[in-house]
Amino acid sequence: MPVGGRKQPPAVREHESATVTSQISGRQWELPGMWNRMFESRVLHDYSSQGFAALAALPGGESLEWCYGCGKCVPVCPVDLVGEYGPRKLHRKVQTGVDLLADPDLWLCTTCGNCLRVCPKQVDMVQVAPAGREAAIGQGHVPAELQDVFEKTFRQGNCLGENPRRRHAWTKQAGVPVRVLASDPGPVDVLFYVEDYWSYHPRGQQAAQAFARILTALDVDFAILGPEEKTVGDSQRLAGERGLFEALMDDVAATLAKYDFRRIVTPDPQIGNALRREYPKHGHHYDVVHTTQLLAPLVERLTWRTSIDATVTFHDPCYLGRHNGEYDAPRRLLEAIPGVTLVEMGRCKQNGYCCGGGGGGMWLDGFTAEHTDERLSERRVREAADTGADILAVCCPYEVSRFEDAAKSTGHDHLQVLDIVELLDQAMGGGAGADA
Amino acid sequence: MPHETVAVIGGGPAGLAAAQAASDLGAPVVLIEQGDALGGTPIAESYASLTPHLESAETVLGRLVQRLEASPHTDILLGAQVTACTGDVGHFELQVEMGATSRTVSCGAVVLATGFQHFDPGRETQMYGYYEFPDVIALQDLEAMIKAGSIAKPSNGQAPRRLCFVQCVGSRDRQIGNEYCSKVCCGVASKEAIEVRLLLPECEVFIFYIDMRMYGYWESQIYWPAQERHHVQYVKGIISEVLPKGDQLLVRGEDTTMGRPMEILMDMVVLSVGMEPSPGTRAMAGVLGVEQNSYGFIAAAHPPLDTVSTSRPGIFAAGAALGPADLEDCASTGAAAAARAVSVIRSVPAAG
Repeated sequence: MPVGGRKQPPAVREHESATVTSQISGRQWELPGMWNRMFESRVLHDYSSQGFAALAALPGGESLEWCYGCGKCVPVCPVDLVGEYGPRKLHRKVQTGVDLLADPDLWLCTTCGNCLRVCPKQVDMVQVAPAGREAAIGQGHVPAELQDVFEKTFRQGNCLGENPRRRHAWTKQAGVPVRVLASDPGPVDVLFYVEDYWSYHPRGQQAAQAFARILTALDVDFAILGPEEKTVGDSQRLAGERGLFEALMDDVAATLAKYDFRRIVTPDPQIGNALRREYPKHGHHYDVVHTTQLLAPLVERLTWRTSIDATVTFHDPCYLGRHNGEYDAPRRLLEAIPGVTLVEMGRCKQNGYCCGGGGGGMWLDGFTAEHTDERLSERRVREAADTGADILAVCCPYEVSRFEDAAKSTGHDHLQVLDIVELLDQAMGGGAGADA
Repeated sequence: MPHETVAVIGGGPAGLAAAQAASDLGAPVVLIEQGDALGGTPIAESYASLTPHLESAETVLGRLVQRLEASPHTDILLGAQVTACTGDVGHFELQVEMGATSRTVSCGAVVLATGFQHFDPGRETQMYGYYEFPDVIALQDLEAMIKAGSIAKPSNGQAPRRLCFVQCVGSRDRQIGNEYCSKVCCGVASKEAIEVRLLLPECEVFIFYIDMRMYGYWESQIYWPAQERHHVQYVKGIISEVLPKGDQLLVRGEDTTMGRPMEILMDMVVLSVGMEPSPGTRAMAGVLGVEQNSYGFIAAAHPPLDTVSTSRPGIFAAGAALGPADLEDCASTGAAAAARAVSVIRSVPAAG
């Protein structure tokens, strides 16, 4: 048999164009060479440890190399369900020569943490993705829509680029007095950290108003920072802007230091996560609870005026559930509402499906759409509709707008998307009920 | 009266463990080694270090030899070969040739610890070119380089910048006839990969595998450190041919998790050869009249819970004579065989 020098390496063919015909519709697509490679088995040459070495040089970036290819992460990756993704696949790409810092894949991870839950080697995308993104931003690779949000946050202290003086404009329609510390700086029990979407987004403002009414009904001593509030910016950190996050932390901590409060309540699981896990690393310690965690122990004291006769399903926010272990508080509240029948989606609690908004995904919808078949929020809404629910209950400010859009785009207009505090408020006769 | 002596054939890790255990139990021991030195394959084939703790093979085995030499009632015969075995349990007579002279060893039981040999890569069917390409070497060749403290391409003496291991060479292969997993090669390759990275930090190291078989603690003792601390790149997909390309080697295979062909340039290719019965194991099976399995290893008579009995009462086997074994297996079966040998002698009736 010919061996050694008599054997020639085979030639590698790469077509520059091809036509693909759909077997269903008969429709034809012209595919340029780049796409054609998905169908031709292109030979891999560039195996190297260098990509991992580059990642390992970034704090938090070292664990991608630890992957031993078991593949447990891929089936639980929310992005893989609507595309081609998962840490195992990223590991193989980097090992075969792809520069992750210049690759669109870097931006698709929502840091939902479901892969880390199942990973035997503790490959931690919640660390890897932000580390890689920070370096990529330094090299000038950042999707334009995300860059726009970074700039708005930097200029105005909120991701929406809204006027800071209008932070507490929502309070006017709350129907109850809402104390603003800047003008009334005495001690207070609960500091309500409203965050961006509840401050500015019309649907978020409705939830903020409902929450203020509930706190008032419960005689909770609370106040807000009003125009002094700035976003904590944890999603900006996870999207790669650690510098911006730390600059915001200086401002936030300085503002908080001015006031005498016992604990912080926030509707935003992302900032709850940051205050609990990131701030202490810099010497800032606060007692922080989520809106549902504040209310759940007080549920016996809520007085109901009306029954909400509906089947409700609940979407666990990644940063409340998987990242911070709270699955019961939202469910206790929902189950307490008269008339509510709670049904669970297949993916819930520890295995909850990501809405797509975390880790900067909230501001990458256009970019992500180019690399996935469907939005994660659309996928999730279809799951919610499959339960037969009338209402999709949420408790993260990102989700009302995401899921309302998704319900419309997937033809599930009948599915109402409501924050848990809105449901509580309705049943307590607040809001429209109070006006009536 | 039965002979109290336990004869141990083979002076490698299993034989040393058996001889030491028999001696510790108070039995006179005759250790018969065909080579000029004790220590077995790790010493004869210049292993640099032992898996999984990377201790020097010479130091560890030297310690075992020293302790045995200092034990009472131990007779060590070097350059000695057993040519015949007569008698029965409690009353064996072994004919031992030592060069021009020969002697008879009377013993009550025998421990066969004649070990393995490395699979000859010239017999593999993939044509990795072990004998064609100087820079294609085997695990034990790299061991010798590591022991010498210098890893270099045999073709030109230069330090390799890219080196890969190809797993399962001569193992798990029906065509070759070795359908078994050789058990140690995944760990040994990973251990050597760590040593390459330590000696040549600039050299990238790859391991191409079908399955990584790191049973027990080797997973976290060798595999994970190799990957996480020493940045060895593991690629699932075996190399199926090696081609010359300039002064390098082009390795070709299928990356099975990517579902794509791969062609990668390497400076050195290390074949992770498996274990086969040594010529001594095959020969002693005949001389002692014990059954072998279809691969030529000594057949354990009552597996799985009796690992050391053979088909002939009073003759026990230990270590890699029984099949692929790591050093822990060798130490364990060596001591187990010695205990069985001593107890069988002591249970032979005095009148018998």
